[in-house]
Amino acid sequence: MNGNDRATGAFRLRLRTQPVLRLELAGLTPLSLAGESSVEVARRMLWHGNEQLPLGEFFDVEALAADSAEIVFEGDLSRCDGVGRGMDGGRIRVEGDVGDYVGAEMRAGEIVVTGSAGMLAACEMAGGRMEVRGDVGDYAASALPGDMDGMRGGLLLVRGNAGARFGDRMRRGSAIVFGDAGDFLASRLVAGTIAVAGEVGAHCGYGMRRGTLIFAGPQPEPPPTFVPTGHDVQVIWTLLARSLVALGGPFGALAASHPRRFVGDLAADGKGEWLLPA
Amino acid sequence: MSAQMRSAATIMQINGITIDDTFAEAFPMKATRLVITAHNATWANHAAVALTGFATSVIACGCEAGIERVLGSDETPDGRPGVSVLLFSMSGKELAKQIERRVGQCVLTCPTTAVFSGLDAGPDADRAALGKNLRFFGDGWQISKVIDGRRYWRVPVMDGEFVAEETTPVVKAVGGGNLLILARDTDAALGAAEIAVAAMRALPNVILPFPGGVVRSGSKVGSKYASLPASSNDAYCPALTPLAKRTELAAEPGEEINCVMEIVIDGLTDGDVAAAMRIGIETIVGRGAAAGVRRISAGNYGGKLGPYLYRLHALLGKEAS
Repeated sequence: MNGNDRATGAFRLRLRTQPVLRLELAGLTPLSLAGESSVEVARRMLWHGNEQLPLGEFFDVEALAADSAEIVFEGDLSRCDGVGRGMDGGRIRVEGDVGDYVGAEMRAGEIVVTGSAGMLAACEMAGGRMEVRGDVGDYAASALPGDMDGMRGGLLLVRGNAGARFGDRMRRGSAIVFGDAGDFLASRLVAGTIAVAGEVGAHCGYGMRRGTLIFAGPQPEPPPTFVPTGHDVQVIWTLLARSLVALGGPFGALAASHPRRFVGDLAADGKGEWLLPA
Repeated sequence: MSAQMRSAATIMQINGITIDDTFAEAFPMKATRLVITAHNATWANHAAVALTGFATSVIACGCEAGIERVLGSDETPDGRPGVSVLLFSMSGKELAKQIERRVGQCVLTCPTTAVFSGLDAGPDADRAALGKNLRFFGDGWQISKVIDGRRYWRVPVMDGEFVAEETTPVVKAVGGGNLLILARDTDAALGAAEIAVAAMRALPNVILPFPGGVVRSGSKVGSKYASLPASSNDAYCPALTPLAKRTELAAEPGEEINCVMEIVIDGLTDGDVAAAMRIGIETIVGRGAAAGVRRISAGNYGGKLGPYLYRLHALLGKEAS
């Protein structure tokens, strides 16, 4: 074990080897570790399958010389679930892939994943900022199984592709996908904003009640339950586009466009909107 | 510009115009800035003029409001031409009421307009509703959109949709800074007032709420009629120079003062009001006494009511000794 006994706010947790079973990291948030020494952090108990083991069994813990509350994970964490779950401040950086439930129910702070994330990333996220530089699995920005509401605040950036049911039951916040999105994008969307730069799968906007879907790249054919409105939406479009332009890449040229607008899903109130700028 | 002490140590003359050794007395107010945009500058201006109409004095208008400046399309949140307006009231509650009424009747109604908060006062600032209550005009069809932490309301209307930011910050401000222009005749007083108003309106963070920026009915506190809180400032009325118990217009023969105009200034900060008063005085005295201005003075209540005192000599950087 690296590090020392000095209490600090920032830690590097380097995964030694891939755990045999799923390893649950929920509750291991930057603010909860702040003030602990690396020895104390290593003594924290984690669920590994159905047994509890000390964190030090899996990770090398190193205290970092930083005043801010921060955790840096290194290694292949694709079997580690719940990273940043319930986080309410500070920063988490994952150097590599991460498992399921990353950033679930987070309320504040920032998470950056340099690799890809598993299923249910940012589900029920309520605030803060999360960026996944790779792909996210199914049900990102959606609801926890059995819950009625999905993501409800904050900003989710997915630089790669998203799986199916992205933003299912989402009700607030912004979720951006730079790549493609799978089937049932924004299904049962309650509200909030989703922007996609790539292709989308089947049944996009299925059961969408309110909220906004923006297609910065390929323009999908709206389904029969979405209908056009011809009025001038330049004001709200400029506000939205200027916010997205700051993200760059495929969103960089949106401000100069004039979108077509469709409303739907008419089978579910029809107050959702698709903005098709190309 | 030449300054000289005329006789007594407290008398200052610049270019033949006397600057009275007195001060303007101003009061704390609550204020906000709104940015109104529209399809073109004409319609933004229509909305701004209507919004700031009948807003000359808190005595009976509820608020004092004015156009601060015209905004280019590169300066507004939605990239359209706009106008920034400032509204001042005596309390945050009254200001909120005025915002709701005025935006509801004058901006929501005006073709193609949108309205935004124009102040960045931080998350802890007091805030007044902007679109927050007006959204109910949408009768359930209104849509909320949060963009970069700011909530906007989109209300369907007959020309498309009315977009209004949900709230606007309310900040402490200063109201009632003033200048009195004492002149030979009407032409001289108006001419001086007009150029001073033009110079003062070029500054940010201030408005001159009276018609054309000028008020001719300066008031004093109280009245012989018990029901009136304010009445004509008889000490500055040339019609009463020989009659009133106290006059401020006594003058040597050939130096008579036959017309007085007042410019009232509301500003977001103490410094903004002071800057406007300073440039107003400098603009007037820059033309010299030949243009007909005899004196520049200011209105106050003896310094007992308002916490902000603007000494004219100090504003000019020439403290009377």
